[in-house]
Amino acid sequence: MAASMALRRELCSLARIFSNISPLAPRALSACSAHRRFNIIRSRLPSTSSTSFHTATVFSSTLSSVTVTEEPDSLFQKVSVLVKGHDKAVLDSYEFFATMAAKELGISISKVYEPHKDTERLTLLKSIHIFKKHRVQYEMRTYYRCIELSHITGCTAQVYLEYIQRNLPEGVAMEVTKTTMEKIPDHILEPMWKDHPVDDKPSQ
Amino acid sequence: MASHTCKTFLSLGRINVPGLGLQKTASRAAYATGLPVNTSAGNKGLPDRSGRGSSVRKPKRDVGEPRTKKMPVDQDWTAVYPAATPFRQDSIPLPVRMGYPVKGGVPPEKKGNLELIKIPNFLHLTPAAIKKHCEALKPMCTEWPSTLDTDAKCDEHFPIKAESTDYVSAGPSVRNPSARIVHLKVKLSSLNLDEHARKKMLKLVGERYSKDTDILTITTDSCPLRQQNYDYAMYLLTVLYHESWKTEAWEAEKTVADMEEYSWEDSPSQRNILDVLVRMKVVGEGEGQDVREQLLGRKEVQEYKDSVTRLKNEGESEDAMLQYKEAVKKVFNL
Repeated sequence: MAASMALRRELCSLARIFSNISPLAPRALSACSAHRRFNIIRSRLPSTSSTSFHTATVFSSTLSSVTVTEEPDSLFQKVSVLVKGHDKAVLDSYEFFATMAAKELGISISKVYEPHKDTERLTLLKSIHIFKKHRVQYEMRTYYRCIELSHITGCTAQVYLEYIQRNLPEGVAMEVTKTTMEKIPDHILEPMWKDHPVDDKPSQ
Repeated sequence: MASHTCKTFLSLGRINVPGLGLQKTASRAAYATGLPVNTSAGNKGLPDRSGRGSSVRKPKRDVGEPRTKKMPVDQDWTAVYPAATPFRQDSIPLPVRMGYPVKGGVPPEKKGNLELIKIPNFLHLTPAAIKKHCEALKPMCTEWPSTLDTDAKCDEHFPIKAESTDYVSAGPSVRNPSARIVHLKVKLSSLNLDEHARKKMLKLVGERYSKDTDILTITTDSCPLRQQNYDYAMYLLTVLYHESWKTEAWEAEKTVADMEEYSWEDSPSQRNILDVLVRMKVVGEGEGQDVREQLLGRKEVQEYKDSVTRLKNEGESEDAMLQYKEAVKKVFNL
């Protein structure tokens, strides 16, 4: 039961995407049209995702509240997650968590690397009045960690990023760079002057 | 004394009205006044309250043994730490030590250790917890289409790439103005352009085109929202495409200086070499156009033309200069 449900959901997701790539897989499209009718309701990720999963009873309710809509899923060629923090150990733990979550959700990780840290140093006067020769020095270090994911769909990216961001520890910032892939829109396929030949107006 | 009593009475008077309803210790803790509370004065004001004063405290409960002693080894840790919580030294059965070591000793233990409480912990994100979360999140994910496995195929079917950045950080505001910037990247080879349209497009676009990768990058940040910037970038692409297919009247006035590539016909180089060859009387006596055309048809002259064109278009390099040298030697029979 669960296997067939998963299969149908996968086929429908493929249908959503393949409806745009018609030359690629006509067979899959015709197979999916039979399975298009679903009565499952999509819900947003519950806000207490990290708190309510220690009991087994919650699982069944979450499974039944997923909708499948007809709008095509967006495709990301690359999603780059850069986390910045002051403490390297925290970033190490976060990297372990993020990579494990990506593996569990079946997302392909292309690269995980550590850019060089940035240090901002200040030399200030130690005393509020005179004593110019006595100073105090501070430094602020920002450590970075970058996780690059490739070939990820819009739904999966949304789910994964929301999960990652809700469990972002305090004092850590994140930048997510997404590269979406799109087809050429219809109005750029052919120049409009072919159908409606325009006599050359002097350009302004 | 009287005034003092008066003051305390006032303070107690403030407490009295709600205090009577609530009873006992909660209200006493909530109303801290700056005025000193005198035991003797207090008794006068509240005959019904027993033992109110600084000497009597509420009875303390015993601490009891820490929870760690009662934890079984195979317990469900996700139930102990289901959400992000500060470090509770009684709930974690690990002998953790943190901090600067005492001289000649070890870092302080976890009991009463502020360093362990300050640092964010990942106790709620153990591998077991992550697996559970991902199991619940799996139904909401979709599969990547298996036919688009290489970048080349992605570029072939989906040539337009739109790139933007989201920012997550703590601060007075959630918004980041840099999040509105959109970069649109297209490979010109995937657009339907003919020769004239391509050249015109390159001239219109200027700096935004990179010759090495054949990628046109349009960066928009003039609108306040990302959706608006994306629409504007697509609009710019559309306009560029259609305008480059148009041929205006003034385009006929294109001079040699406007040309993108060097062409040898009607260039000073061609005139020079033909003049030199005619003077050298290579073909014998005869003047006029047919002699020049005859010269042009010769193989050495063609090779010379190729070498000069290569030098001008690709720039100077060892190979190009050698090729030019060979061609010149052949033309002059050296």
